[in-house]
Amino acid sequence: MFEDFQADSSISPLPLLEAKIHQTHSLARLLTKYAEQLFQEYVQLQGDPFGRPGFSPPRPPVAGLSAPGAGHAGLPLPERLRLDAGALAALPPLLDAVRRLQAELNPRTALLRRLEEAARRARALGAALEAVLAALGAEPREPRPEPAAAAAAAAAAAAAAAGAFPAKLLGLRVCGLYRDWVSRTEADLGQLVPGGPA
Amino acid sequence: MPAGRPGPAAQSARRPPPLLPLLLLCVLGAPRGGSGAHTAVISPQDPTLLIGSSLQATCSVRGDPQGPTAEGLYWTLNGRRLPPELSRILNASTLALALANLNGSRQQSGDNLVCHAQDGSILAGSCLYVGLPPEKPFNISCWSKNMKDLTCRWTPGAHGETFLHTNYSLKYKLRWYGQDNTCEEYHTVGPHSCHIPKDLALFTPYEIWVEATNRLGSARSDVLTLDILDVVTTDPPPDVHVSRVGGLEDQLSVRWVSPPALKDFLFQAKYQIRYRVEDSVDWKVVDDVSNQTSCRLAGLKPGTVYFVQVRCNPFGIYGSKKAGIWSEWSHPTAASTPRSERPGPGGGACEPRGGEPSSGPVRRELKQFLGWLKKHAYCSNLSFRLYDQWRAWMQKSHKTRNQHRTRGSCPRADAARREVLPDKL
Repeated sequence: MFEDFQADSSISPLPLLEAKIHQTHSLARLLTKYAEQLFQEYVQLQGDPFGRPGFSPPRPPVAGLSAPGAGHAGLPLPERLRLDAGALAALPPLLDAVRRLQAELNPRTALLRRLEEAARRARALGAALEAVLAALGAEPREPRPEPAAAAAAAAAAAAAAAGAFPAKLLGLRVCGLYRDWVSRTEADLGQLVPGGPA
Repeated sequence: MPAGRPGPAAQSARRPPPLLPLLLLCVLGAPRGGSGAHTAVISPQDPTLLIGSSLQATCSVRGDPQGPTAEGLYWTLNGRRLPPELSRILNASTLALALANLNGSRQQSGDNLVCHAQDGSILAGSCLYVGLPPEKPFNISCWSKNMKDLTCRWTPGAHGETFLHTNYSLKYKLRWYGQDNTCEEYHTVGPHSCHIPKDLALFTPYEIWVEATNRLGSARSDVLTLDILDVVTTDPPPDVHVSRVGGLEDQLSVRWVSPPALKDFLFQAKYQIRYRVEDSVDWKVVDDVSNQTSCRLAGLKPGTVYFVQVRCNPFGIYGSKKAGIWSEWSHPTAASTPRSERPGPGGGACEPRGGEPSSGPVRRELKQFLGWLKKHAYCSNLSFRLYDQWRAWMQKSHKTRNQHRTRGSCPRADAARREVLPDKL
């Protein structure tokens, strides 16, 4: 059904499904803007060189979540959307962990609320995307190893023990991943929107 | 992450997390075959220092034969490369740094001191916290809204500039018994304020103080002792109405209602009125309206829009002898005086009931006239009330220019009035 939806323009999708896809795409577009704002606010509060052009700290995988790979765009759309949904499910515990670290580094700043909001938004977008995938009859994504929240908390604890600078780096990595995956989701959903790029 | 004082997160991480690689190795790049990533360790990690002090730090690369040596390492602080003369090589794997006369930290999350490999890659980082211990907070002031809560404000010592995150905690307790309590709702009326919403006792004094704490120390304010009833404020008077006084071109009547939250307690309340011309920023204040809920503004300009506000001081509540705290001003209410072709007087004060003369120039002249009349005329019942009635009548008959007798006037007083009163009347 997924491929039919894309390939055959003579098939009229259910109006509700089309509306849901539009809605989810619009949500992804909005969250892309918020994710960029979060990233900018984060780097500003950590101080230079965070946020400087050319700042290139180590970027290893974080708690099993890596950035969208170079080959992501070449994958079939259902697979891309499944990867997007998986990333969006992995992000909230990481954002919560970063918020706890920033509560020590930047107490009583608006950044803490923004990180909390980002976790909620990632959950919302992930749930919406899962609903779209289910409606399209796509195979469900592989469940992530549990518990993701405990893994993220342990990662944050390790960063805190390592010092303030590693904690700042962890947050930079997570905020960057959040921005990258939300943006990737918007682009992938855009191909599902009727009239969007193929 | 204060040096030497691990927080709860650090304490819980002393046991390695199960099943997962330590994030430290992940974040800083554990040496992996073929990855090219190498790490180092900076000491001290996250130190806290006084402004003006010095720092000796080292960057030690891990003992990897393929890894960088101290030869090519360099330091940056907040993204700026530090001069090479501040560094020296201690041994093959360790580069030392000496910083003197440190400035206050640029951000509360700490200055970023980073050790780089020759190619610019980051090997390790440490955050410096450079600042001052807090000074004693002072100038605590508190007020209670309608006796239901308490809000306090204070000034941080040294105007708060410690360059470090400084935590302020407002504490309070009943003077002669009870335990210390900590206020929980901060920043309610500015950055250094706190609100206690409930469970406050009346008729018994409280002791209130502020404690300031940061990485370099703590300070405590002097104790303020107060009774809630001595610092009561209330809401602005509601339902403020401003209206014309008949056709009188230089007067407006102001009426309001006592603030409802304290309406049963405001026997000795005081009110203040302020008013201004529409296109002016200068308010005129009428003090001491006592506990009335109406007032007449006199000596105003004819044909002019005025904005009026009223505020309340719940003086004397439950027998308190203290001055009380003025409420906020009510929302501005506007009204205009009737137009007149004759130039009016410049402004005046509120005219209380009873028509006692105030200090405006017109009033002064009239007072003199009335005094003269009493000596030379046979009418002794002239008063400002009659004068107001006469003026209203004059305005009505202005166009027809008819001469009428006023009620209660005497022929001789009438003639004298025409002779003595200036034209502007």
